[in-house]
Amino acid sequence: MLPELIYTPDSLLRRPRFLLWTMWRDLLASRELAWRLMVRDISAQYRQAALGIAWAFIPPIAMAVGFTLAKDANVFTVGETDIPYPAFVMFNTALWQTFVDAATGPVQAVIIAKPMLARVNFPREAIILAKLGEVGFNFGIKLILIVGLFLFFRVPVSWTVILAPVALIHLVLLGTLVGILLAPIGVLYQDVSKSLNMIMGFWLFLTPVIYPVPTEGAFGTLVAFNPVAPLLVTTRELATTGVLTEAVSFWVVSGLTLLGLLLTWIGFRIAMPYVVERVTS
Amino acid sequence: MTIRLSTESLTESFMATPASDSQLVISVEGVSKKFCRDLRRSLFYGVRDIAADLTGGRPHSDRLRPQEFWALKDISFQLHKGQAVGLVGSNGAGKSTLLRIISGLIKPDTGRVRVRGRLAPLIALGAGFNPILTGRENIYANMSILGLTTQQIKQRFHEVVEFAEIEEAIDAPVQTYSSGMAARLGFACAIYTEPNILLIDEVLAVGDARFKAKCYRRLYELRQRGVAFILVNHNSQAILNICDQAIYLTRGALVAQGEVNAVVDQYERDLFLNSIERSENRMVFPPKAAEESNGVDFRDLFFRDGNGQPTQTLSTGEPLSLCAVCEAHDSYSGVALDIRIVKVGGIESGGNILSLRGQNDDTFFQLSPGLAEIQLQLPYLGLVPGVYSAQIRLRKDAVYTFDVIESFRFTVISKQNVNKCQFYQPRSWALVPVVAPVSAGQPLP
Repeated sequence: MLPELIYTPDSLLRRPRFLLWTMWRDLLASRELAWRLMVRDISAQYRQAALGIAWAFIPPIAMAVGFTLAKDANVFTVGETDIPYPAFVMFNTALWQTFVDAATGPVQAVIIAKPMLARVNFPREAIILAKLGEVGFNFGIKLILIVGLFLFFRVPVSWTVILAPVALIHLVLLGTLVGILLAPIGVLYQDVSKSLNMIMGFWLFLTPVIYPVPTEGAFGTLVAFNPVAPLLVTTRELATTGVLTEAVSFWVVSGLTLLGLLLTWIGFRIAMPYVVERVTS
Repeated sequence: MTIRLSTESLTESFMATPASDSQLVISVEGVSKKFCRDLRRSLFYGVRDIAADLTGGRPHSDRLRPQEFWALKDISFQLHKGQAVGLVGSNGAGKSTLLRIISGLIKPDTGRVRVRGRLAPLIALGAGFNPILTGRENIYANMSILGLTTQQIKQRFHEVVEFAEIEEAIDAPVQTYSSGMAARLGFACAIYTEPNILLIDEVLAVGDARFKAKCYRRLYELRQRGVAFILVNHNSQAILNICDQAIYLTRGALVAQGEVNAVVDQYERDLFLNSIERSENRMVFPPKAAEESNGVDFRDLFFRDGNGQPTQTLSTGEPLSLCAVCEAHDSYSGVALDIRIVKVGGIESGGNILSLRGQNDDTFFQLSPGLAEIQLQLPYLGLVPGVYSAQIRLRKDAVYTFDVIESFRFTVISKQNVNKCQFYQPRSWALVPVVAPVSAGQPLP
């Protein structure tokens, strides 16, 4: 006997066990599809770009060159960094870019998949997973740059580098949380994708990417409340010095991220049928 | 009396087969859905619905809010294994909405839907096709979206390529495909997902006639294997060809459901104005005002027998004329009649049985204002007994259409035995004495 599916108007929240079970089932079911979509998107992305994977290197290098020149000309002053400044900027930019990819990816992916969403009932998680895979792939390419960078500037590497991926994953998950939260509304209202770039620009300004973590002043307080900061800083510190300056806030943010991710995932599942309904096929 | 009797008894025997609950594949129970025509408000309602659902449920989802209307209202029906049901109704009747609720894309506002088995929506030909990627890559992506594992796709890959007839282009980007090729690929991907239930929404209009016939054949095979169908098509002919049941929707309400001929008849009656008088093998149309007309209108379609007398009995092998009484509002030259005839109820027949066009026979008429009767004279009727549907078009110089009747249905009977024949062949038999025997190998004179 084949399993029976029942569609009713009732909220799935009234059947939490069923909801969690379907979430788990769809997550498993979407692995292969996510892989396919990822392969499709990555091949399409690089096939129509003459510079190919160089696009993964160009933004961090451009940022590093720009800010290093500006700093050398004393346009602005930054405190002491624990590794050479160009390497500092480049590494941070690569991490920040990965966070931005994870945050904007789901919104863009869901908008692009609109015609598909309006017609086929496939596990929606696949779109998000495919995007996560793409974020991982792009970071993998940036890793080549980072390794080259570390060798060139002779950046000391601590044994804790093997723990750095854990912190990086938390950083990506925080980005994904933001992305999943915005994705359903982003399909309905274009305002989301329009404002996303601006918000990310402002957020970058509040994140210790081109400067070390500030300790004093109103700006310091503002940065202290930025959840990206501890994750990004911890990832960098694990990969380089091995001395953690923000361990506590790292664990607080990580815990909240994991909890928040589960909640936004539930929200995403519940919202998607309503979103599809308002999108003409 | 007529052959129609025998098709009816066939359907009766089909309906009489016990359809136990275990064979139930789709059960739609009192489903309603409301939509809003105003975009801004619609988006706002969407956000509100999400918020309400996230806080535990939507109270009063069965009530309309300002500017909303029922896209579907209280629809119930059941579909069993191997059944094919056609959805008919004009644009905006809610056919596609119903399919989207059944496939679980959107939630119903009231009622519930139960679905048992793998459901493949042919609403979405080529969902997720990326034009930059090759046909091969797109097959994998598309069939994954439709729910197949990589292993399953590998097994079916060759069949898909073969069915779509794109062997030589399989490694070329899809953007280099003709629209027909892309459509064929999309159809092939969907059809080879081996579903238990197929939802087909207006997708059989793709490709050339040969490929269309191939699609119909494939659908027929699937049905023999017990796949259940829901078919949406504006062309009631396609529905009559494939389905045994039909559902007629008007503005979201279910008007009629049941045996396909009766429901489609009712739909067509409503579609072609209520004023049309439809008696057996005849159609009469009211006069049109000059400003509503395109120049010449049909007023009456009927048949005459060999003596030129109007008749309602069409017999295979007898002389017959199809007569079209036309009313011209001006003088026109180069008027020709176009007649295409398809058989009703034949699943394997994808195309026309007859296509008779005045311009192909170089027959054009000169019409002056007033009534005139154009006759298509047949020395004998070659059609075998059955129900036929003719599309009759009144044209000028092969480009301009004055008037068109989409479906003029008529029934042919036979006074002689034409069993096992595809068409009537006029003939005579003779016994001739042999004068000189013809030896083998010797050429005939």
